[in-house]
Amino acid sequence: MKIGELIKIPKVLGAGLVGEDGFIIDGRSTYEYDTEKLGAIAARVINRIKQSLNAQDASAIIYTQDNVLLLRESTEGIVFVMCQKDANVGLVRIRLSKVARAPEVS
Amino acid sequence: MADELRVDSGALIFATLADVYISSGMIDEAISILNDGLARNPNYHLAKIMLGRAYYLKGECDKAIEILEPIYDVVKEDETANLCLSICYHKQGDHAQAMRFCEAVLRINPDNSEALKLLKEMTPERSPEPQVEVTAPEAPAPAAVVVEQPTIAVPLEAVVPAEPLPAGLQETVVETEAPVHEISELDIREIPEKTPEVESMPLAALDRPARRLLDLDSVKRVFISTKDGLLIKNYSKGDNDVEAMCASVAAICLDVDESFRMLKRGGLTRCIIEKPDETICVMAVGDSLLTVTTRIEAKPGLVFVYAHKIIEEIEEILR
Repeated sequence: MKIGELIKIPKVLGAGLVGEDGFIIDGRSTYEYDTEKLGAIAARVINRIKQSLNAQDASAIIYTQDNVLLLRESTEGIVFVMCQKDANVGLVRIRLSKVARAPEVS
Repeated sequence: MADELRVDSGALIFATLADVYISSGMIDEAISILNDGLARNPNYHLAKIMLGRAYYLKGECDKAIEILEPIYDVVKEDETANLCLSICYHKQGDHAQAMRFCEAVLRINPDNSEALKLLKEMTPERSPEPQVEVTAPEAPAPAAVVVEQPTIAVPLEAVVPAEPLPAGLQETVVETEAPVHEISELDIREIPEKTPEVESMPLAALDRPARRLLDLDSVKRVFISTKDGLLIKNYSKGDNDVEAMCASVAAICLDVDESFRMLKRGGLTRCIIEKPDETICVMAVGDSLLTVTTRIEAKPGLVFVYAHKIIEEIEEILR
């Protein structure tokens, strides 16, 4: 499954693959979201989780007042999806897991 | 004041946490967080009342009075503020002022046991003078005083028979037969360590909702910490590294908060961190974090549903 296809899920605002250093490898987002910023945030949060909790292959679902950000480590980097808070997070999580197993760059 | 709370939810958060600190006897921490919060919200009077109460509980009556007196006109209908001032003035030996505030407490809540106790203590204290003494507080007294003529205190044995009392005061004289020898004991006595407010919301009240979470098979541990990583309460037994976990969770949440601030998309409300061996669910409760660690097979949705109900309960307790 290609990373770019994640954006087709209803209420998904942006998705992408980012390296551990925060540089974006691939990504798509709606006009109001900057993929590079989302990627930087994803890398920062995952690195912090790995560092603080000493966890390998960490993943996270972060709920804010307006959005939900899903992050998952993969062999190629960190896959992230930003969606609206009323999105089907369960569905997004399943698709994210599929992508993270073998991410395909568009 | 309730409106103020609703408007300034940020202020409510630090005051809530301070109340938790006070309830658990961490007075210095409460004073610190209240001073910090008041620096940002200088007009938040409820926090000032709490700060006054914290100083009074610490035994620093001067400071309590210094904080509460300037805002008294605004908070004169607050039971806690009046009770604190009454006890503080009583401790300082200013019985007229103590009586004035004690009356105000009883006007707001005629059943306030602390105020009734204080009034009982002060009544014989004010009776060593052998003449009828009617004192009026310098500041305007509350409009409707429930306890009538509480400042009139004349022991029967002290009244000189040649000076008959005014007819209207006869009943008061009969009521003030309490033995004068109690005064010395009262002076030595410390101010009550536990006010009814403190007793009514101990941190133990949080146990019940947290235990319900722990009752779930997949839940390994539950703890509440501050957003800066200090453990407030741990509900899991034999868990030694919970403080390290608090710090780690706080660090992650702080990073997330900062990151989303950059996006201007609101702060963290909850977070699920999936590790190979366990899942960590973190929920923001005011200025605190409720963390629930579950086994990997647990359904995070189920934990959130339970936790959401519990958060409401916790917020209600802290409120």
